[in-house]
Amino acid sequence: MNYLDLTIKEIHEALVNKQVTPLELVNEALKRAKEDKCNAFEYIMEKEALSLAKTLTEPEKDNLLWGIPFAIKDNISTKGVPTCASSDILKGYVPIYNATIIEKLLKKKAIPFAKVTLDELAMGGTGATGHLGKTTNPYDVSHERMVGGSSCGSAAVVSSAIVPFALGSDTGDSIRKPASYAGLVGFKPTWGRISRYGLFPFTPSLDSLGFFTRSVYDSALILNIVAGYDKNDFTSSREKVDDYTSDLNKPIKGIKIAVIKEILESVSDPYIQKKFQETLKIYEELGAKINYVSVNHHLLKTLFPTYYIISCAEATSNNANLDGVKFGLNLEGNTFNDSLIKTRSEGFSERIKRRFVIGSYSLMAENQNELYLRATKNRHKIVDEINKVLKDNDVIFLPASPSVAPKFDNKIDQLEDEYLIADNYMVIANFAGLPSITIPTGFVNDLPFGFNLTASAFAEKKLFNIAKALEDKLGYYNLSARTKK
Amino acid sequence: MKTVDLKKLQTAANRLCFDMSEEEYQTLLNEFRTITKQMELIAEDKTIDQYEPMIYPFPCVINDLRDDEPINPSNRDEILKNAQNKLAGQIKVKKVNG
Amino acid sequence: MDFEVIIGLEIHVEMKTKSKMFSASPVAFGAEPNTLTSPYDLAFPGTLPLPNKQAVINAIQVAHALHMKIDNELHFDRKNYFYSDLPKGYQITQNRRPIGSNGYLDIVIDNKVNRVEIERLHLEEDTAKQLHFPSYSLIDYNRVGVPLIEIVTRPCIHSSDVAAKYVETIREIVSFLEVSDGKMEEGQLRCDVNISLKKKDDKKFGTKVEVKNINSFNYIKIALEYEINRQKNELLKGHQIVQETRRYDEANKATQTMRLKTDSVDYKYFPEANIPIIKLSQDFINHAIESSNELASDKRKRYLQEYKLNDYDTSILLSNLAVARYFDECSKFSKHYKAIANWIIVDISAFLNKNAITIDKFNIKPKVLVSLIDEIETGKISNKIGREIFNYMLEKNVDIKTAKSALNITNQESDDKVIRALVNEILDNNEQSIKDYHAGKDRALGFLIGQAMKKSGGKINPSITSKIMIEELKRRK
Repeated sequence: MNYLDLTIKEIHEALVNKQVTPLELVNEALKRAKEDKCNAFEYIMEKEALSLAKTLTEPEKDNLLWGIPFAIKDNISTKGVPTCASSDILKGYVPIYNATIIEKLLKKKAIPFAKVTLDELAMGGTGATGHLGKTTNPYDVSHERMVGGSSCGSAAVVSSAIVPFALGSDTGDSIRKPASYAGLVGFKPTWGRISRYGLFPFTPSLDSLGFFTRSVYDSALILNIVAGYDKNDFTSSREKVDDYTSDLNKPIKGIKIAVIKEILESVSDPYIQKKFQETLKIYEELGAKINYVSVNHHLLKTLFPTYYIISCAEATSNNANLDGVKFGLNLEGNTFNDSLIKTRSEGFSERIKRRFVIGSYSLMAENQNELYLRATKNRHKIVDEINKVLKDNDVIFLPASPSVAPKFDNKIDQLEDEYLIADNYMVIANFAGLPSITIPTGFVNDLPFGFNLTASAFAEKKLFNIAKALEDKLGYYNLSARTKK
Repeated sequence: MKTVDLKKLQTAANRLCFDMSEEEYQTLLNEFRTITKQMELIAEDKTIDQYEPMIYPFPCVINDLRDDEPINPSNRDEILKNAQNKLAGQIKVKKVNG
Repeated sequence: MDFEVIIGLEIHVEMKTKSKMFSASPVAFGAEPNTLTSPYDLAFPGTLPLPNKQAVINAIQVAHALHMKIDNELHFDRKNYFYSDLPKGYQITQNRRPIGSNGYLDIVIDNKVNRVEIERLHLEEDTAKQLHFPSYSLIDYNRVGVPLIEIVTRPCIHSSDVAAKYVETIREIVSFLEVSDGKMEEGQLRCDVNISLKKKDDKKFGTKVEVKNINSFNYIKIALEYEINRQKNELLKGHQIVQETRRYDEANKATQTMRLKTDSVDYKYFPEANIPIIKLSQDFINHAIESSNELASDKRKRYLQEYKLNDYDTSILLSNLAVARYFDECSKFSKHYKAIANWIIVDISAFLNKNAITIDKFNIKPKVLVSLIDEIETGKISNKIGREIFNYMLEKNVDIKTAKSALNITNQESDDKVIRALVNEILDNNEQSIKDYHAGKDRALGFLIGQAMKKSGGKINPSITSKIMIEELKRRK
C-alpha cells in the first residue's frame, strides 16, 4: 500500500504509528511528480520540501496536518519560491512574503510541496491557458480532456494522488468545477472566512481561497486550520471559527434541500440527470426534504455576462501593478512608456488582453452605467433571489457541471454566443459570498462528475454535514485516477 | 454608451499599456458584440435600477481601523530583489516622458 | 473691458502620521531611498490595504476646522492610471463619498469677509518620488502611500489675494492641528490652481487653465497675477484661451505650458472592495474633534480679546506653531501677557536668530522665563537687571537664582514703608529742593529721587520711589 493514496486523516494515523515518515511521503510525492503526464507543475519545491521533511521526526498526535505534503496554486504568494500565476508577465518573480494561508499551514508543519498550474492569472475555466500550456485530466490517459480551471494543477495533483490536498482559488467556480471533472471534493468557504492576504487578486469581491481534498472530512479539517480573522486582510471575517469536523456525522433528518428547477433543466446529459434523481432519493431516505424552487430563467441567462463584466473590469485594475518595474518580466524600450508597453504586450497572452480591454471599456465613464454598474446591480438582484431561496432552505443542491470533463476544442476561452446556464451557475456562490462544495457523485465512461451544495454565509458546518451524509451513502470517498484501476 | 469600433478598442488597449495583433482586435470586436448582446438582457429588465450596485457579497461593515503604529520596514535589498534595474538603492527605469 | 476672475483650488496635504495610509511602513522625511517600504508599497501581488486610524482622525479634524459635513462611513475607490510613480497602477482615494463635504473658510482681507466654499475633503495616498536624468529616472518608494488629504474649493474665488491667503490659512490650520508641517518647499502642501476669466456679464465660464508647480507661498500671488494678466491679454487680443496645464517657473516668474488637455482623463473609478465600509461612530468623530489642537484662529481670538495683545504681536506669535506653544505655556503661569509677548518677540527672537535655532531648542523654559518677567513686572528687579540675568542665564545655562548670585543682584526694595521713610529722610534734608519743586522746577524731583536712590545704594524700585516722592512732596506744600 502507498500512503499517498490515502486521505489526510489516514496518512496522519500512519505517521503517528510511525509506519511512514514525512520524508518518505515527500520522496514518494517527488517520484510521482516526476512521472506526471498532466503538465500540472509550475515549480516542484524539492529542496524546500525535503529539508522541511527532514526536520519532522516526532509525530504530533493531535495535529492532523503534521508532515502532510500539499500543493499550492501558483497564484498564492510563497516566500522565496517562484510564483508566476502561470503568466509570462510574472516570469522570475520570487515573492518576499508568505500568504497567510501558507503561514498557517507551515505553523502546523504541513509541507509545501509544489506550485501548480492555473489558467493564466486565474482568468479562465479550462486549464488550457497557462503559459506552460494545457493541464490535462488524470482520468483521461489520452490527455485530450481538460481537468477544468482555473485551479487545474491543484485538481490534477490531488486526483493523481501526488499529494492528499491542494490549495486553489475560486472566483467563478475555479475550484468547484475542476473538482467535478477530477472526482474530488472541492470547497470554497464564505467570502472572508479565509484571509486573502497573499492571494493574487482577480476580482476581490468574488475571490476566495479553498482546497481540493479526497474526502469531506479532510476539507473540514483544513478549514479548521486556515479559517479566521487576519489583521493583514481587512475583509477577513471576525466571525468565530468553529470546529468544522464536529458535526460531520450528525443525522440530516429535517434538512431542507432546494433544487433550482431552471438550472437542473439546463443539464442535458441524461446520465447525470438520472444520477441526480438517485441522490435526491438518498437524501430523502436520510430524512431530508427536497424543495424544487424556481428562479427566473431570464435572470439565470444573465449570470455569465454579469460575471464577465464585473470580473474583467476589476481584473484590469488588479493587474495594473504588472509593469515590469518592481518584479516580473521587464522588456526594455527607449523610454519608460515604451518599456511598459513592450512588457505588457509580451507578458500577457492575447486572451488576457481581450479580457482587460472589455473590462476597461466597461469602466469608462461613458460606458460605466450600461456595463459595469448595470452588472453590479444585476449581481445584487441575483444575490437577493438566491438568499430568498436559502432563507427557506439549508442548501441549494445541483450538478456541479452539465457533463464530465470535455475535450479541449479550438475556441478555448472565447466568449460563446450561447447562454450556458448549467455551465455558469456556480458563480452564484461567489456573487453572494456563500460557502459551496462539490463532491464526486458518479462516473460516465470512467470519467468522474460531481454535484454541488451551497449554503448560507458562514453555514460551513452544516454544509459539510450534508455533504458528508451523501459521501457516506454513495461511497465515493478517496477517489483518485491512480487508485481507480 | 457609445458603439464599439476597432479604433476605440485600440485606444482602450493602448491606455492599458499594451498592443494587440489585428487579428486579435477582430476577435475582440466579435466578443464585444456577444457580451453587449448578453448585457442587453439586463437592460431589458425594467426593475434593474431599483438595485444598488453591489460592491461586497453581503453587508461588509466594520468599526475598526489600523492603529498608527509603524512596523519595521522591509530590508532594502530584499524589497528591490525582484527589480531588474537598480541604481543607488533606487529602481532605475528608462526616461519617463512628460 | 472688465473681466471676472474665477479661481478654484485643489490642495494636497501630506500628513505626518507615524505609518502610511494603507500600510504600516514608517513615514519619515529624509530617510535613505527605499528604506521605508513594505511589500504593499511596491504593489506586490496579494498584499492588501489596511487604512490608518490616525489619518482618518486627522482628516476629521481638518474637515471640522473647515466647517464641513463629516461622513459617518468611510468609502474608498480606485482611481486607475499608469504612471511610473504609481506602483499599483491605481491610487486608492475617495471618489463617491469624501469624508468631508460642503464646508467653507472665511478669508478676511481689509476687513472684508470673502467666503471660500469648499466642496470636498478626501483621503488618499501619495505617489513615489522620482529623480529624472536625461536618459533614465530613479524611483524611491519611501513616499509612496504617505497619507494625503485633498481639499477642493468650488470655483468661487475672484482674486489672487484671496487665493493666496486661503492657501496660507489652510497651511496654518493643518500645521496648528499638527496634521502636517505644511511646508510647500518640501512638498508637504501642494496646490493646483484652476483659473478662468469671463466678461463681467457673461453667464458662461471661460476656458479653464490649470497651474501647477507653485513651490512656495511667496509665489502664489505672483503666479496667479501673471496668469490672470496673461489670459486677460490673450482675450483682449481676441485670442481663445487654450485648455491646458501650465507650470509656474520661478526663474522667469511666469507660467509655461506643461501639457495640453485634450479630453479630460478618464480614471475609470470604481469601489475598492478590499476595504470594507468603515462605520465612524458619532463618538469616534466627536472624540477626534475634541482631541484637536487649538486652531490658530481660536488662539488669535484669545490673544486679541482676552489678552488684549495688538494685531502685530498676535500675528508674530501665530506665525509659527512652536512660538505660539511657547507663548501659551508662559501664559499659563502669568497674566503679564503683553510683557511675555514682548520678551518672545524681541529678546528671545533675537537670541534664536543670532544662534540660528528654533524655539523648541531654546533653553529657558516658559515657567522660568515667566518668573523672571514677574519679578520685573512687580518691580522686584529693574528691566535692565532683568535683561542682565536673562543674558547670563543663556550664556552659562543656569537658573535665575544662580544668575542673580553670580551677578551679585539682590532684589529691589519695593516696600512702601521702607521707601517712604527713606524719602522723608531725604526731604527733611533738602528744604530748598521742596521749594523749587513747588515753584515748578521739574529738575528738583529728579534730584530728590536721585538722592534717594544714591542713599539706598540703588536698591529701591525707581518707579515706586518716584510715586512716593510725589505723594510726600504734595503733603509738604
